[in-house]
Amino acid sequence: MVKEFNILITGVGGQGVILMSELLGRAAVTDKLRVRGSEILGMAVRGGSVTSAIRIGEEVYGPLIPTGKCNTLVGMEPSEALRNIACLSKSSLVIINTAVTTPFTVFIGESNYPSPEEILEKLGKASGRIVQLDAAKTAQDAGSRLAINIVMLGALFGTGQLPIKIDTIKETIRERFPAKLAPVNIRAFDLGYETCRQAVK
Amino acid sequence: MKELTISSDAPGQRLFVLGNEAIARGAIEAGVQVAAAYPGTPSSEITETLAAVAKELDMYVEWSTNEKVAFEVALAASICGVRALASMKHVGVNVAHDPLMTASYIGAKGGLVLLSADDPWAWSSQNEQDNRYIAEQGYIPVLEPSSVQEAKDMMADAFKLSEQFRQLFMLRSVTRIGHARSDITLGEISRERRKGQFIKDRTRLVYTPREARINKPLMLERFEKIKKAVNTLPYNQLKLADGAKLGIIACGLSYSYTLEAVKWLEIEDRVSILKIGTPHPLPEELVIKLLKSVKEVLVAEELDPFVELHVKAIAGEHNIPVKIHGKDLLPRIGELSARKVTEAVARLTKTKTPVDFASIDKLEQETAPLLPWRPPALCPGCPHRASHYAIRVASRRVARDLGKEVEAIYPGDIGCYALGYNPPQEASDTIICMGGSFGIANGLARVVDAPIVAHLGDSTFFHSGIPPLVNAVYNKANITMMILDNSATAMTGFQPHPGTGYTAMGDETVLLKPEDIARACGVKFVEVVDPFNLKEAAETIEKAIRFEGPAVVVSRRLCAIIDQRERKKRKEETIPYRVDQDKCNRKCNACIELLGCPAIIKEGTKTVIDSSLCTGCGICAQVCPYKAIVPE
Ligand SMILES: Cc1ncc(C[n+]2csc(CCOP(=O)(O)OP(=O)(O)O)c2C)c(N)n1
Ligand code: SF4
Ligand code: SF4
Repeated sequence: MVKEFNILITGVGGQGVILMSELLGRAAVTDKLRVRGSEILGMAVRGGSVTSAIRIGEEVYGPLIPTGKCNTLVGMEPSEALRNIACLSKSSLVIINTAVTTPFTVFIGESNYPSPEEILEKLGKASGRIVQLDAAKTAQDAGSRLAINIVMLGALFGTGQLPIKIDTIKETIRERFPAKLAPVNIRAFDLGYETCRQAVK
Repeated sequence: MKELTISSDAPGQRLFVLGNEAIARGAIEAGVQVAAAYPGTPSSEITETLAAVAKELDMYVEWSTNEKVAFEVALAASICGVRALASMKHVGVNVAHDPLMTASYIGAKGGLVLLSADDPWAWSSQNEQDNRYIAEQGYIPVLEPSSVQEAKDMMADAFKLSEQFRQLFMLRSVTRIGHARSDITLGEISRERRKGQFIKDRTRLVYTPREARINKPLMLERFEKIKKAVNTLPYNQLKLADGAKLGIIACGLSYSYTLEAVKWLEIEDRVSILKIGTPHPLPEELVIKLLKSVKEVLVAEELDPFVELHVKAIAGEHNIPVKIHGKDLLPRIGELSARKVTEAVARLTKTKTPVDFASIDKLEQETAPLLPWRPPALCPGCPHRASHYAIRVASRRVARDLGKEVEAIYPGDIGCYALGYNPPQEASDTIICMGGSFGIANGLARVVDAPIVAHLGDSTFFHSGIPPLVNAVYNKANITMMILDNSATAMTGFQPHPGTGYTAMGDETVLLKPEDIARACGVKFVEVVDPFNLKEAAETIEKAIRFEGPAVVVSRRLCAIIDQRERKKRKEETIPYRVDQDKCNRKCNACIELLGCPAIIKEGTKTVIDSSLCTGCGICAQVCPYKAIVPE
């Protein structure tokens, strides 16, 4: 019986953060697990920051992950992972897509984008382990630029820590996408899965 | 097996849903027959969910022009004995406030439920008002869920309670309920469909002073009965721990944070907890029982100390010597969290917090300066970007004529175009409430000499833009009123409205045009422009500003997201633009600094267009001084 397993997915509007949490939630219910979660959409759909929490287990009540209680942080964009540093603890694992989405405030000189070293240094201090992958490239290798979220979902399962069965999540992916797009997404999932599995070995 | 959906009559089955879908499901289970709403985050998905299954389940669902109308539609159905729901975001209830206050005098025949979606931390709102006060003012009982499952159950029950006590009920949701996700267990769907019957009853339905005086005591009687009944509703639960010194009264969602907090602190068996599902009226007997059993009490609730004040009143009235905490330890602003409740409880029980929050805070503070600012931006190809640009060009031209010091004023409004208040557009000088742009412009015209160019969207125009427009005509205000018509209520999820030609249930209907309405209202300068033709749009707006008296310019272009969707359906290709690097003067940056389109990015010193994002609107090509931007 799972008591509490917390996943925070972060990214930028348009990257498919919400779809990823929907797939996780549905798969968890199929596996007869209790699921809670919440997301911030609102104005954020227009290219702002998006976060979605998925919490699985018998001792989960609230929709939010308590400070420092995140098991796995999925950063679909590096600076967005950093933005959520407060959810981490030394036992957390962080998976980051290294592909940067620069907000236009950087182009007009209103803000700066941190260097990869700065991001890793801070996240390293806060968490136990970091796995990096170029999900944008991996998605392209799988055959769809849009499948970044599915690559990251694969990577999340590649950690080997999730209480959901791999077969269930794959079945959920197949159900969610039209028959024509399912194989590409399964491929994206597998590539993400393998990359992460190699990294955490 | 047939796939399980929100309308499946499959009691006992589990489904993973969004909170707002669960709320809609509750209404479906109750056999709601009329649902009316005006969109607003975080409530819109309730009505969208209902609209999608309305025909299948024989319900009537509408997007009303505004919340007042939505509530009146529901009220009328209830008067005729039919179960009805009106849903809106918290500030929408302000718009419906007028009929609401008298509706509670009328009471309910068919179950009548008002869903108020409050938004602690104002994630997508202009304020974080606490609508339990509005309910209190109107003697409207409030149900407040602690989870998504409970939100569904309460919604289903609210209709029954409303009929049982013949009173309007409010279900108060919050962002973390409506936009939470959870597995829920489905209940049975009521298939009862009633035929509406209007029974003439002037004493109950015609409000002159006489009826107000007759019906208020009746309402107070009904309320007294509800006050008693809430003590035994399953939504209020008292769990006394043996010898506990501390009691926690947890209202709504705060109950979930409270459960996590006491578990985290490992003091579950040392505190008594009163779960509150009806903050108004409070289950007084349960409150007294708790107060008498402990030395100290913490009231955990989001936003204002609503429950806290009532608990303090109860303690005072009954002379119970207990120390009551609440907003002295928990914030009035924003959402609560397991952490906030944990820290408050840790202080009261002198327990150590399970996590060193201070060191996490320190790391977070060190991190903050590294983070890039990522405000939500108008989409690539958004017509509002072009309108904002044209408005500014035109206004500056006129302002310059009036003298160096004069700057045009841009009263703005609530909709996607509000995102243009960020740089580089900086297109709004005020944003207060829906329709407020035109209203504020009316007032500014009385006290300043600068050109006043107000703008609002088409949905906002129908919602609350027409009365201030009429006001400008009637009182001869010299202002320019822009209607940015993108054929959608885009910000809240592209819902249809009276200017789109179809209804919530997908039926075709008449299409109202803002320009026709403006003309009919007596505006003498009314023009329609295409914002993607920047030059013409700016020239027309300039004429409107120079026009003596109220002027209206409708800036019409379909929302880029809908346009892209429709083009895809029609298999029509989008031709993106590109930057000709031989012509681009690397240092000018005009396209980025004037427009801020997310498709235009910098790669080192090079300006390039991301062809996967560009919708081919072409306005960047019009502002580039070097003619370096061309179609691919
Ligand atoms: C009284 C009230 N009701 C609802 C809302 C929620 N809301 C914010 S923007 C908006 C719609 C704006 O639509 P429109 O004016 O057409 O602008 P668009 O987003 O399409 O550009 C709504 C309904 C609100 N803020 N206040
Ligand atoms: S959704 Fe439509 S109206 Fe809103 S910012 Fe995007 S393109 Fe503009
Ligand atoms: S044409 Fe220019 S302004 Fe329009 S979407 Fe493309 S890059 Fe953005």
